[in-house]
Amino acid sequence: MTVEQTIEKLNKSKVPIIVIDKKLERFRGQNLFPEKLKRANEILAKTGLPKLPTK
Amino acid sequence: MKQPKYNYRSESTLQFYEFISEGPKGLIKKMVIYTETTTENVYNLGFGDYDESTNGINDLSVTNNGDSLKVLATVASTVYAFTEKYPNAWILATGSTIIRTRLYRMGITNNLAEIETDFIVLGYSKNEEWEKFLVGEDYEAFLLTKKENKN
Repeated sequence: MTVEQTIEKLNKSKVPIIVIDKKLERFRGQNLFPEKLKRANEILAKTGLPKLPTK
Repeated sequence: MKQPKYNYRSESTLQFYEFISEGPKGLIKKMVIYTETTTENVYNLGFGDYDESTNGINDLSVTNNGDSLKVLATVASTVYAFTEKYPNAWILATGSTIIRTRLYRMGITNNLAEIETDFIVLGYSKNEEWEKFLVGEDYEAFLLTKKENKN
């Protein structure tokens, strides 16, 4: 398989190959989107989750 | 996703993702972050440019790096990665601006056929109700979960 074919295959996959980078752990515990999170919580408090049809 | 996407990095919880947008404006570091909400199993999806100077995320910036479809496909692909680890999760996304909300809507619309094979996609309507996502409708927020999840 050529490099181009490999990249094409990767691009078409739904779950990509993920490189684990421990440096990203520094973001844990931080609220990096406070306004969005606040609005999300407001929507959930007001409307909750939708009822989905059962299987 | 069928569309080209960037490779990305994450950490062991798969809640933080980082990738580099490449285009005429140069290399721009992007981040996608899933944050727990006050409702169990519901996570807020946040997405924006990483700002080295503040060590924070700018979710208001409009980069115009000529790769918005590729960026959106990358964000969408993180949903697959995230829900592999958290299969019962619901993901809620709100735009920081009307433009950003439209960008999210475009991302969902462009990938809807594929997303709907695996996920239920809902929009938060002006009536403050969740409804099945319809192309062309305006929504303040978006919600999705794997089809297997029933509440």
